[in-house]
Amino acid sequence: MTTTAQIAQKGVLVDLTRCIGCRGCQVACKSWNERSVKKTINRGEYTNPQKLNSDTYTRIEFLEGAFGQAPAWHFIKDQCMHCKDPACASACPVGAFKKLPNGPVTYDFDKCIGCRYCMIACPFQVPKYEWEKRIFPWVRKCTFCSDRIAENLIPACIKVCPTKTMFYGDRDAVVAEAQKRLADNPGKYVNHIYGKEEAGGTSWMYISSVPFEQLGFNMKIPAKNLPDNTWAMLREIPVKVVGFVTVLSLIAIFRNRGNGHNAESKHKEEN
Amino acid sequence: MTNHFIDFKNADVILVMGSNPASNHPVSMKWILKAMEERGAKLIVVDPRFTQTAAKANVYAPMRSGTDIPFLGGMIKYILDNNLYFREYVVKYTNASVLVNPDFKGPGELNGLFSGYDEKTRKYDKKTWSFQMDENGIPKKDPTLKDPHCVYQLLKKHYSRYTIDKVSSITGTPKEKLEEVYKLYASTGKPNRVGTELYAMGWTQHTIGTQNIRTMTIIQLLLGNMGMAGGGINALRGESNVQGSTDQGLLFNTLTGYLATPSGSLVDLKSYIEKYTPKTKEPKSVNWWSNRAKYITSYLKAIYGGRATKDNDFGYAWLPKLDEGMNASWLNLFDQMLKGKFEGFFAWGQNPACSSANSNKTRQALAKLKWMVNVNLFDNETGSFWKGPGMNPKDVQTEVFLLPCASSVEKEGSLANSGRWVQWRYKAIDPIGQSKPDADIANELYYRVKTLYQKEGGKFPAPILNLTWNYGQKDALGKIHEVNVHNVAKEINGYYLEDVYDKTATPPKLLGKKGELCATFVHLQADGTTSCGNWIYCQSYTQKEGKIINMMARRGKGDPTGLGLYPEWSWAWPVNRRIIYNRASVDPDGKPWDPKRAVIKWDAVKEDPVSKKPGMWVGDVPDGPAPPMATEKGKLPFIMMTNGVGGLFGPGLADGPFPEHYEALECPLEENMLSKQRINPTIKLFGDKADAFFSCDMRYPFVATTYRVSEHWQTGVMTRHEPWLLEMQPQMFVEMSEELAKEKSIQNGEKVMVKSGRGELWAIAIVTSRFKPFKIGGSTVHQVGLPWHFGWQYPVDGSGGDSANLLTPTVGDANTMIPESKAFMVNVVKVAGGRT
Repeated sequence: MTTTAQIAQKGVLVDLTRCIGCRGCQVACKSWNERSVKKTINRGEYTNPQKLNSDTYTRIEFLEGAFGQAPAWHFIKDQCMHCKDPACASACPVGAFKKLPNGPVTYDFDKCIGCRYCMIACPFQVPKYEWEKRIFPWVRKCTFCSDRIAENLIPACIKVCPTKTMFYGDRDAVVAEAQKRLADNPGKYVNHIYGKEEAGGTSWMYISSVPFEQLGFNMKIPAKNLPDNTWAMLREIPVKVVGFVTVLSLIAIFRNRGNGHNAESKHKEEN
Repeated sequence: MTNHFIDFKNADVILVMGSNPASNHPVSMKWILKAMEERGAKLIVVDPRFTQTAAKANVYAPMRSGTDIPFLGGMIKYILDNNLYFREYVVKYTNASVLVNPDFKGPGELNGLFSGYDEKTRKYDKKTWSFQMDENGIPKKDPTLKDPHCVYQLLKKHYSRYTIDKVSSITGTPKEKLEEVYKLYASTGKPNRVGTELYAMGWTQHTIGTQNIRTMTIIQLLLGNMGMAGGGINALRGESNVQGSTDQGLLFNTLTGYLATPSGSLVDLKSYIEKYTPKTKEPKSVNWWSNRAKYITSYLKAIYGGRATKDNDFGYAWLPKLDEGMNASWLNLFDQMLKGKFEGFFAWGQNPACSSANSNKTRQALAKLKWMVNVNLFDNETGSFWKGPGMNPKDVQTEVFLLPCASSVEKEGSLANSGRWVQWRYKAIDPIGQSKPDADIANELYYRVKTLYQKEGGKFPAPILNLTWNYGQKDALGKIHEVNVHNVAKEINGYYLEDVYDKTATPPKLLGKKGELCATFVHLQADGTTSCGNWIYCQSYTQKEGKIINMMARRGKGDPTGLGLYPEWSWAWPVNRRIIYNRASVDPDGKPWDPKRAVIKWDAVKEDPVSKKPGMWVGDVPDGPAPPMATEKGKLPFIMMTNGVGGLFGPGLADGPFPEHYEALECPLEENMLSKQRINPTIKLFGDKADAFFSCDMRYPFVATTYRVSEHWQTGVMTRHEPWLLEMQPQMFVEMSEELAKEKSIQNGEKVMVKSGRGELWAIAIVTSRFKPFKIGGSTVHQVGLPWHFGWQYPVDGSGGDSANLLTPTVGDANTMIPESKAFMVNVVKVAGGRT
């Protein structure tokens, strides 16, 4: 493990006060990762797609504020948090998910057997299955641009952001930057760095001027490493997980009848 | 822009009104947020709708569409009532002290009209909008600002009617919000505080669009914010090169460099020059337009070359002329087209079937053509109008040709951004398939038209046959196969056609050698010894000590002032000046009003490299090299203004020397709350059935406006074909308040119909707390908003919807004729099966 200690783990601070909702990140991600699209409709809001999916590794959620009298509009970036000790990796029976020493949680297509334990294990509901593919469907999620990081390039979404919403660096430096911003701007931010402790700590962290629970962040995630919990649950595999996976598979088969491309119903189920 | 994008970081207060940079100019937000974080700058957003920009603002004030003048007029009153203006600046650098003709009367006295109105022609005789002159022909002044006829007193009188109660009841902005905005923005009236204003189509696309901007320039002059770093009036341009195309004479009423298009009554060059060369006896005024003769003559030499001689008036007769009083702007063109006045039409890089106000009328007009050439990246609703909704292809006789053109990354050339920076770009890939750069398409067209004139003659071949066309290698037939854009850029810059001397020097000093590229427009001549395709671009592609330099391709990153001027990055017109009117940023002795943000300052000791005498300006390129105003040879700061001062009183416009509130052509009110004059009295009213408008009509009870989203661009031709963008914004929508939705029993996400007096379309309802009903004169007025990016043709399944311009009226601004797309009346109707 000496190599792990020598390679600094990268981290990102998402400063939500800086996001203007231009969605350059959403496009840059698709461009770098060569992702396609799923047919969407306007559902009475700007957010689209409604959730992360196998073609959308990151997106901006537009959240209107009903917080007091003054109108508010929040733009929240959503992507894999890249946990320090990821539940998806520990749940994977074949080791398809791996936490790299420099930060990204990556996925090995060759190893995946399609069991989708990762999807159940992830506390942030990030990994998504290619339901639309009949042959060799894979699990998809944000890669933290591990291929770019390996070449000393910054991740695509961060590179393209016009307002420097994301601060990228060694995780220690990122935490220090977050703490500095909280200290230097009294009253501007809520006193919390989301992801510093959650799920045992994540590579991606957030600061915000609005309480995180009002922005839909899951505040029930404990500060301890999740794999311990994951294993407690996965001991019951035959009962819970296999049952869940079977249900999901049946839904997929049912849906893939005909042209297998009914995008609208797909959204509903994913929601 | 008077300033530039990076300069936003230098502001103390940023007023975003008439624009939405977070959605439409996202990169500019980098500089706005920087000002907020590093200087503690305050961001104010005034908009009918709580926008993405408003989400980042310190103060948000809602305002009904079309009421910017009362909103800002109230601010002028607040500034004057509370003595918050920058007195020295106002007295010395504006026409506040100048005395106006005592016969001048304003809307307060004439019920909404200025003196000189003629109801029949819907025009003003501006005789009384003049200044009093002394015996030497110099405008009379009262520096104490007490004379009842001085501009300051007239301004005060004019806006005394814009009380906060009145303004609030017209705009629907709560009084405490008005006060909050006024107080904050007026705080920049101190020498060490600067405010900037960012506008876009939210200000221009009104029947009072020009006056919206004028109102803000009055505020900026009163507060001393013009010429300052972090100040100015900044138009965020809606297309990446619209600044460049306007500079190069895109509009019907200008040649290049904002030289007026001649009209038929100006029979020779002399009468043209006489009409367009302003004269002043104000001793300290530079009156830059007094150089007009040099610029028009050099322009004629550029386009007609050796064939333009002194004896033939430099080919002035070959220039196309407008009929006297003729307005050939957009709305008039399509009005005439509908009346069958055109045979053919080049739709070049545009999509009028969706972009044009009152698109149904436009689409019908296209059907009256014999032929149309559609030059575009893709087929669009314009090229395929004949198979669009409501069209029977059998009835349409228009023959349509599509010429595929290269996109911006498939060709080399220059691009001028909103901040007037002209940047050189390189070709990344070859054009796809048979597509060609626009210049090559124009070259083909030129060659064929010329050949036809040569073979067949014609009524007036001279303008084409006499053109210079030295844009590349010619074959045996004289045809150029590929345009070299560097040659075009050099022609725009201009050449010394002879050895040119400064004859005022003794002995005459050589300015430039024959055949070399001009160094600056200061060297241009009226005698035919220089050529220049566009005087404001002179110096963009130049020659120093014999070496040719493309200034637009420069990429130097030095920033000696620390203000982000980056003088060696690309090149800015004019003469690489980054902040125009920068002489107003210093006091009459040449000391910066705010030394911490010194754009320029006078260094009395430093030797001027040109004159070799001590004393020169340091910092940005000053507005003229003259020494500070207080010195013997000093000059007034506003060099483009005839009398050298900023115009609080502006007699040049069609609809009044002071901005006055008029309602939009379609509005929810029966009466203008400020006067008996409901609409702008000088706008052109179109009379066709298709031009119907309905004001205060129960059938169309809601105010509507149009706008853009980040994900799409203009009519969406370039973005609807892009799946990544379409995925994020897939469909036409209409945003409305929760209150209106409740009233109409409309659910969020439901498909509804939006109807105006001219057209209708379906849209998905976005029910939002970001729109709120307005209290206008005691009653509730609802407003809705729609993007205009969609069109029936693509996506092919019709899932996108159609253009919001099906709803907008055929009416334009009194000065520019830009259509009023930002304030009109609609209804929103539930439809059966609207809920999905």
